[in-house]
Amino acid sequence: MKLQDSYISRRLFLSRLLGGWLAGLIGILAYPVARFLAPAEAPEPAFVLLSAKDYLSIPPNSAKAFAWGYKMGIFIKASDRSLRAFKGVCSHMDCNVSYKPEERRFFCACHDGWYDEAGQNIAGPPPRPLERLEVRVEKRKLIVHLPGAVLPPEVEI
Amino acid sequence: MRRLRHWLTERIELEGLLRFLKGKTVPHHRHSYIYLSGGVLLFLLAIQVISGTLLLAHYSPGENTAFESIVHLVTQVPMGAYIRSIHSWGANLMVFFLFLHLFCVLLYKGYRRPRELTWMGGFLLFILVLASGFSGYLLPWNQLALAATKVGTDAPRALGLPGIWISLLLRGGQDITGVTLGRFFALHVWGLPLLFFPLLALHLFLVQLQGMAVPPSIEREGGYGVIPFFPNFLYRDLVLWLLTLGVVLTLAVLFPWPLGEKADPLAPTPEGIKPEWYFLFLFQTLKLFPARIMGISGESIAMIVILWVALATFLYPFIDRQAEPTKTPLLLRLAPYLGISYVLFMTLWGLLS
Repeated sequence: MKLQDSYISRRLFLSRLLGGWLAGLIGILAYPVARFLAPAEAPEPAFVLLSAKDYLSIPPNSAKAFAWGYKMGIFIKASDRSLRAFKGVCSHMDCNVSYKPEERRFFCACHDGWYDEAGQNIAGPPPRPLERLEVRVEKRKLIVHLPGAVLPPEVEI
Repeated sequence: MRRLRHWLTERIELEGLLRFLKGKTVPHHRHSYIYLSGGVLLFLLAIQVISGTLLLAHYSPGENTAFESIVHLVTQVPMGAYIRSIHSWGANLMVFFLFLHLFCVLLYKGYRRPRELTWMGGFLLFILVLASGFSGYLLPWNQLALAATKVGTDAPRALGLPGIWISLLLRGGQDITGVTLGRFFALHVWGLPLLFFPLLALHLFLVQLQGMAVPPSIEREGGYGVIPFFPNFLYRDLVLWLLTLGVVLTLAVLFPWPLGEKADPLAPTPEGIKPEWYFLFLFQTLKLFPARIMGISGESIAMIVILWVALATFLYPFIDRQAEPTKTPLLLRLAPYLGISYVLFMTLWGLLS
């Protein structure tokens, strides 16, 4: 049966059919590649357990690094003996920072960024303070955790 | 769009290139399908380059990491087993179409003057593809690969001192170790492609320069037409490419490439071991020769024969110089048929024995 009139010509119908099929084909080919290349999940830890003996024994006004997932974490015993921990990456461009006891400041070597003992950005390009982590000592373990993280009760201490 | 075209024309003579593409034609006669056998190889090459690049992102060469990284790839990485299977099946299909392409050109005398260089370049490309297959086979570092590489790198030893040097150089020592794996990896992903792509560029340039060869039988009949390459012939190419893609993906999904067990230099060789199908005709040839022929090692004679046949194939355009098949000596006329039958028969025999 031939329709009297139609909104769509045969050529348009066929080229849309072909276009749709082509789009489907490309999708089928691109999907596995996209899955293959998709970034791997490496979730940030909620907490890490460190040996209290190793970390609490450092002298005042010094720092010691630890592994916070795949990032560097930095634990510091300030000159007033207060304990703090930070993610040890600069807020400017992700470089690892170091602690300079003689200056009592954190230093980022990439672009000369400075943070004070409390992690506040005080000089150079860093736009924000260092990210703060909470510190708690229980028995022989030093627990470093995200602020507000709920620690599972079965954490072996 | 027009401004972009103008901008490019000012700099790279775009109009000439477009005119060439528009004017490019392909002979049209009853054997025209043979012209598809080269294009599909380009398509399969693209699949190999893409899938190989993806695999490279997860593979780590080394005695203690190669097999483990493939295990990780096929069990942990999303779509890892699929991409690996595409690379393996794609390689097999590429070798298959390569034989077909070579046989087509041989039987239809596509190598005749002035296309000798195209033939010789093509033959070297053929060797490089086989070498890529051979070197890639070792990379998963499994039992089968170890055994196959042992046999393959032992074969040149039958040729005396130069062969022994080649064997030592390939293995990086007396035995197959992590050193061999490193060498094969370097060859597979960089060394061989480095030779392959300039040679391929030359091959394709010559094909563009001289156009498609017409079989002597058609030439004699005289009248054959031509069709435009773009888009008429390209559509024919695309149909075959699409079918090939379908075959590769189907095989990769239904028959994932096995990984086997990790290579152990101290374990006995698995029984009934055979090389990949495309080396079977050589494997069977080596088996055919007795251990000693008139006091000389049969293996040495077999290797020498194989090398001479390879050299003769490489130089075939200069051996068979008669354009007119009726004027060709009978032996030369039969040689391609005999050669192809031999390869097919030996491959079948190898598969069935």
